[in-house]
Amino acid sequence: MPAKKKSATKSHANGNRSSEDSGGSNARVGTAAPGSQIERSSTRTYSIPDTRLEHPDLSVHQHRDPKTDEVRYEVTGNLNAPVPPIRDSKYLDKKQCIEIYRYMLLNRKMETALENLYKQGKVVGGVYFGLGQEACSCASAYALAKDDWFAPMIRNQGSLLVRGFGASVTMMQYMAKADSPTRGRDGTSHFGDLDERNMVSPISMLGDLIPVMAGVALGARLQGRDVAVMTYIGDGGQSTGVTYEGINFAAVQNLGLVLFIESNLWAYSTPSEMQYLCQDLAERAIGYGIPGVIVDGTDACQVYDAARDAVERAHRGEGPTMIEAKMMRMKGHAIHDAATYVPKPMFDFWKKRDPIARFENYLVKEKKWLTVKENADLILEVEQVIEAEREIAVNSPMPTPESAEGGVFCEDGCHDIKPKYGMPKVKKGTGGFKETEAAVHLK
Amino acid sequence: MQLTYLEAIRQGIWEEMDRDPSVFCLGEDIGIYGGAFKVTDGFIDRFGPERVIDTPIAESAIVGAAFGASLTGMRPVAEFQFMDFIGCAFNQISNMVAKAHYLWDAPAPLVLRGPSGGYVHGGPFHSQNPEMWFVHNPGLKVICPATPYDAKGLIKAAIRDNNPCIFFEHKYLYRRIKGEVPAEDYVVPIGKANIVREGHDLSIITYAAMVHTALEAAELLSKEGIDLEILDLRTVSPLDREAIAQTVKKTNKVIILHEHSRTGGLAGEIAAIINEEAFDDLDGPIVRITGMDSAVPFSPPQEKHFLPKLEDIVREARRLKAY
Repeated sequence: MPAKKKSATKSHANGNRSSEDSGGSNARVGTAAPGSQIERSSTRTYSIPDTRLEHPDLSVHQHRDPKTDEVRYEVTGNLNAPVPPIRDSKYLDKKQCIEIYRYMLLNRKMETALENLYKQGKVVGGVYFGLGQEACSCASAYALAKDDWFAPMIRNQGSLLVRGFGASVTMMQYMAKADSPTRGRDGTSHFGDLDERNMVSPISMLGDLIPVMAGVALGARLQGRDVAVMTYIGDGGQSTGVTYEGINFAAVQNLGLVLFIESNLWAYSTPSEMQYLCQDLAERAIGYGIPGVIVDGTDACQVYDAARDAVERAHRGEGPTMIEAKMMRMKGHAIHDAATYVPKPMFDFWKKRDPIARFENYLVKEKKWLTVKENADLILEVEQVIEAEREIAVNSPMPTPESAEGGVFCEDGCHDIKPKYGMPKVKKGTGGFKETEAAVHLK
Repeated sequence: MQLTYLEAIRQGIWEEMDRDPSVFCLGEDIGIYGGAFKVTDGFIDRFGPERVIDTPIAESAIVGAAFGASLTGMRPVAEFQFMDFIGCAFNQISNMVAKAHYLWDAPAPLVLRGPSGGYVHGGPFHSQNPEMWFVHNPGLKVICPATPYDAKGLIKAAIRDNNPCIFFEHKYLYRRIKGEVPAEDYVVPIGKANIVREGHDLSIITYAAMVHTALEAAELLSKEGIDLEILDLRTVSPLDREAIAQTVKKTNKVIILHEHSRTGGLAGEIAAIINEEAFDDLDGPIVRITGMDSAVPFSPPQEKHFLPKLEDIVREARRLKAY
């Protein structure tokens, strides 16, 4: 079968919509002055900027072996394309690049530790890996300001580290320990922090975080703050209806959603070719009326730059951005899944594009921002941190059975709920309460 | 003052938005149109478009966004144009909102409200009483007022409550009943039932529109010497176990009456509670009068057949009294 044809993409951004004068709020529709027109995006140039330095043309399709009748996936395309260089960041300096690199190392080593804990029988349930996706998880979160909000998905465990959670937190979640943020009540990255790190907990259903994060931005804006709210969704997860509803809501309400679509090519065993028809998921941004951009998800600089631009747009009250990060999931869906359905040449192709190896090469060989010794020292330091975190997690107690009880409701003053950014300043119209007439058709 | 059930709800939300700037409304057509049933009529002029938000037709996004806003400390009141459409947001309500406090200590002080119930020839998708899906979901409060006084007091209580409350407003009652509603600020406690008619012979445990049909039946039956006690649940989850037990202990015979369909309905849950709390006080079997196990049909004679009627209550009360 012929490989999918990739059209050349232009590098100018699709039209930016100016925010209307809205008298204090950035809800374009809600507070547009009476009589003024709502601007709609009507570009017909259909261009999405693409910062990648290569455009892999790999394509997966089902193939039935004529002799054995076995149906397998096959990959076609240029599997020998050379690995492109890391693209210099517009923003990051030496110190910041090294910080991101360190987080990526922590991410990788934490997951290796989790795998070992699993093999030692200390993990409850399965382990989900973000192998090959560390640049996306870490560099994206690195672009958030302290007051911004984020909601990781399962494979974004690196973002937790960037936001200040120690590796022991994730380990305790996986081991269902009493000192996990959910006190053992849920595992993996299903936890949150409304006080310090502004994290919203995911649930297992996909796409549901998107309208929730839009709501976070809405709540903050009602309190006079334009925060960036960052979350992620996979090429598989974005197929759900709630994904559409959430992005559309953020778009029409002009909320600062920074949405990373992690195109890692496999949703459990389903290749992206069976998930959607459009060429690049970022094209959907045109349909929503928001800016979209494609980045190389294995290039930390590209991920960061796109995230930074989107976060700044959000802070300026200019609404959502869709960032499609291209990469591949380098392990199975979870630890039990050997991913034998993935054609081996695909693993070989993307292994050469390992985000940590690429960034290491960039820092040590190209930019010479780390000497070989400094790099070795850094790796050792990271390993020691992970080991210390592992000790903390392993030695922490399991919850008691009775600890399952309680907390179904917020009662007896267990939370004092107040607007986080201060009571909204509201202006009331002068009209008093008047009784209404029923709508005619419903009398 | 005398207000309709709808005006009482409207006044309740208005008062809460007046006194608490963290309260805001979102839903379809609630802004300039004032809501399909006019519950938010005049709100956008008073409170501004920031606080009265017209959403796209996207129930999952409405609930999700309400939840997200509540995580920043706001108190959203989200409207479903008809509660029949609450199914479109089922996953958000069930898995995102209801479990948040238990799992990750995140309170969700939001209210999901809208019109439910039949007797208006609305057909299968504008007549539903979907409350049981949420009664069965730990972490949610489910409220179904029957009177203007309770409607206003309970919507205010729900807005002030730190937990997700689903507020079912019976559309048949919207403009058909009027009641005395105080001008001053008051709340009705969530989770407390109310005796709307004291009696000795048998108890009817019910809520929403059926309360009024039960009262009609009580009038009729009092003429033949059957004295009904009527317990209005007001909150369907959490149920007022004490009030249920008390009325059974007093009259020893009970009818449970609800509009929604029979199987897996609230009557089964209440019967189990009576079994646990007051088994020895029963002098007869627990009777239930419910809607049929089908969708709500459209044509008036069919809808009449589906829904519980005055004649059903009268017949069953006579039967149970004689037991």
